[in-house]
Amino acid sequence: MTRFILRRVLSMLPTLIGVTFVIFMFQRLIPGDPAVAMLGEHASEENVERIREQLGLNRPAFLDRDALANGDLRGFFDTQYLRYLGRLIRLDLGNSIHRRIPVAETLAIRFPATVELALLSLTIAILIGLPVGIAAAARRNTILDSVTMIGSLVGVSVPIFWLGLMEIMLFAVFLGWLPSSGRLSTGVEITSITNLVLVDSLLTGNIPGFIDALKHIILPAIALATIPMAIIARMTRSSMLDVLQEDYIRTATAKGLTERVVLFRHALKNAFLPVITIIGIQAGTLLAGAVLTETIFAWPGIGKWVYDAILGRDYPIVQGGTLLIAIIFVFFNMLVDVSYALLDPRIRYD
Amino acid sequence: MSDATPQDIGIDDYAVREHRSLWVDAWRRLISSNTARLGMFIVALFILSAVWAHFFWLYDPNKDLDYTLKLKPPNLTTTEKVTALHPFGTDKLGRDIFRRTVHGGWNSLRVGIVAVGISMLIGVFLGLLAGFYEGMPITPMERIFLQGFLGLALGSLSAWVARQPLQAVLFVGLGVVSVYFDRFLAGRKIRVILFAVAGLLIGAVLGFFVAPLVAAICGLWGALVGAILSVPASGKFFSNIVMRAMDIILSFPSYLLAIAIVAFLGPGLEKGMIAIGIVGIPIYARLARSAVLSVAQKEYVLAAMSVGEGHGRIIFRQIFPNILSPIIVQSTMGLGGAILSAAALGFLGLGAIPPEPEWGAMLGDSYKYLASGSWWAVLFPGLAIMFSVLGFNLLGDGLRDALDPKMRV
Repeated sequence: MTRFILRRVLSMLPTLIGVTFVIFMFQRLIPGDPAVAMLGEHASEENVERIREQLGLNRPAFLDRDALANGDLRGFFDTQYLRYLGRLIRLDLGNSIHRRIPVAETLAIRFPATVELALLSLTIAILIGLPVGIAAAARRNTILDSVTMIGSLVGVSVPIFWLGLMEIMLFAVFLGWLPSSGRLSTGVEITSITNLVLVDSLLTGNIPGFIDALKHIILPAIALATIPMAIIARMTRSSMLDVLQEDYIRTATAKGLTERVVLFRHALKNAFLPVITIIGIQAGTLLAGAVLTETIFAWPGIGKWVYDAILGRDYPIVQGGTLLIAIIFVFFNMLVDVSYALLDPRIRYD
Repeated sequence: MSDATPQDIGIDDYAVREHRSLWVDAWRRLISSNTARLGMFIVALFILSAVWAHFFWLYDPNKDLDYTLKLKPPNLTTTEKVTALHPFGTDKLGRDIFRRTVHGGWNSLRVGIVAVGISMLIGVFLGLLAGFYEGMPITPMERIFLQGFLGLALGSLSAWVARQPLQAVLFVGLGVVSVYFDRFLAGRKIRVILFAVAGLLIGAVLGFFVAPLVAAICGLWGALVGAILSVPASGKFFSNIVMRAMDIILSFPSYLLAIAIVAFLGPGLEKGMIAIGIVGIPIYARLARSAVLSVAQKEYVLAAMSVGEGHGRIIFRQIFPNILSPIIVQSTMGLGGAILSAAALGFLGLGAIPPEPEWGAMLGDSYKYLASGSWWAVLFPGLAIMFSVLGFNLLGDGLRDALDPKMRV
C-alpha cells in the first residue's frame, strides 16, 4: 500500500510537467506579443526587441538544435521553456505586466480567499448532500425521495451566477439582511495570520470581525455549494441504490441487523467509491476558484483574478495562477485515487 | 371455443410473451415514468420552440432597437405608451425579452448538444480503450503496434535534433524487435544493456554525420530510449498515457480552461462549443475507464475472451452496452452542464457575439440593472436556462432507470 501511494505521488510529476508544458504553450499560442503588451502599442521596434531579449523571447521554444550543431551545449538547453522551468524551481513566478508587482505576493493574498470560500461551500455540500442522498436511497419511491430528487435536479439545473444574482436581489437589495459583495465591511480590521479571515478572526478573538466575515461569505458559499450539493446527493443515492440491490444487503437484513448498521456499515462503504470521486472532483473545482461567483459577489479570489489576467493578456499572472490551481487539482486527483485503494480492496494496484 | 388465444381467456402466459428488444423495453419504461415524461415534454418544448422560431419567426437582432421602450416591466395588456405585448418585459435597448428568450434557445441548446457530442465521443472512446487495456492482456499485434509507436514518439526527439528522420524509423524498428524477441534474455540486465547499446549506436553513429556534440546528445538519448524499449510495454502503460493526458486537461478548472481556449480561438458560438467540448472529455474518459474496470472481470467478458472474440468486438459488444447506463446519466447531466457552461461564457461576454440572442449573454447584458429594480430582465433568461437544463436532467434520470438492465422485468 505504501508503495502504491508513493508511486501515485511520484506519478504526479509527469502530469505536472505536462501542465507546465500546456501553460507555456498557451502563452505562445495566444495571439499577441508579451513584449508589446508590456510596452504598449506604440513602443519602438528597438525597445520591443530589447524586452524580447530580456524575457528570452528571442530564444527557441524547447531545444536549440542549431546551437548544438555548432558545438554549443549551453545554448542547446538555454531555451524559453527550460528557462521557465528553472524560474519555477526557484519559485519565481515573475511580475505582473500591468501592476509590476510579483505574482507570488498577490497569490498569497488572493488564494486564501478562494480556499475559505471553497472549503465552506464543500462542507455545506457534503453535510447536506450526503445524508440526503442516503436517506433518499433508503426510502426509495417515497415523498422524501421524490422531493430530494426534484430538489437536487433543480440544484444542478440552476446557473450559479443567476442564483447568486437572485440571492443578492432577495437578501441584499429587497431584505437588506446580508451584504452583497466583498469579504469584509470597510472599517473592519482583522489581523492576518493565515489570510483566512474566518480563522484569523477566531484566532485573534475578534468576534465582531468573525460575524462580519461570516455574513459576507454566506451568500457566495450557498451559491457555490448548490451544484456540488446536488451532485453529491444524486451520486450518493444512485450509488446506494445499486448497492442496496446486492445479495449481501439482503443477507444482512435477514440476519436481523438494524437498518442503520446495514445502511452505514454494509451499504455505504461499498457505495462510497463513486461519491468519493465526485467529491474529489468538486473539491478541485471549488478550490480552483469560481470565476462567476467571484465576479458577482466581488470576492477577491483567484478565479476572477486569473480571468481578468487572461483578458488583459497579463501572462505572468495567467501562468502563475493557473499553475497553482493546476497543482491543487492534480493533488486532489491523487487523493481520490489513493482513497480508492484504501477503501476498496477489490481494486488491486500491483 | 376451440380457437381462443391465451389473451381471450385472460391468461398472460410468460412463454407466449412477445419478444421485445432492450430498447423497446426501455422506451416503454421511459414513457411510464412521470418525471421522464415531464422531462421529455420540457426538452421537446424548448427544442421545438427554438427550431420553430429559428425558421418561421423571423427576427433580426441587428435591427431590434427601441429606446422608448427601455426596461419596461412585463405587461399582459397593451396601453397607450406600450402598444405591444411584452410578457417578459423589455431590456436596456427596448428589445422584447420573450422574443429574445425564444430565439436564444436556438443558440444555447445548439452549443450544449454539440459540446456534449464532442466530449462524449472522444472521452468514452478513450476511456473504453484505457480501461480495457488496463484490465485485459493485449494481443501480440497490439503490443507490436504499441511498442513501435513508443519508439516513434521517443525517437522523434533525436531525429529532430539531428534532422535525420531515419533515426525515428530505426527506433520504431528497435521497438518492434523488442516485442518480437520478448523472450530473448527476458528479465536479465544484459537485455537492457543490449538494447541501450543498440539505441546508443543508432543515435551516435547517425548523429556523428552532423556534429560530434549532436552525436553525444543523440547517443545518450538513444541509449535511454533503447533501455526503455527493452521492456515491452503492457496495456497498463497505454492506459497510463491516456489517463495522464486526461489528468492534464482535468488539472485546469473547466471554466478557466474554456475561457482560455476561447481567448485563444476568439469569441463566438462555435468556439464556445469546441472549448466546452474539450473541457468535458476527461470526465467521460474517467467514467468510462472506471466502469470498464468494474465489468472487465465479469464472467461474460471472460467467456467472450475464452471463445476467442476479438478485442474490438469484446469492447463494443460486451463491455460497451454494460457501461452505457452511467454514461447516459453523465451525458444528460453533461448536457445540462454544457448549457450552463455556454451560458457562463455568454455571461462573461465570451459566447455569442452581440446582439445575437443567447441566454447567458442576455443575463450579462442586464444584471447591472438589477439594483435599480429591473428584475424581469434577469429573471426570465435565467429561468429559461434553468428549465431547459432541468428538462434534460429529468429526461436523463428517466433514461437511467429505463436503461438499467437490472430493472428489466
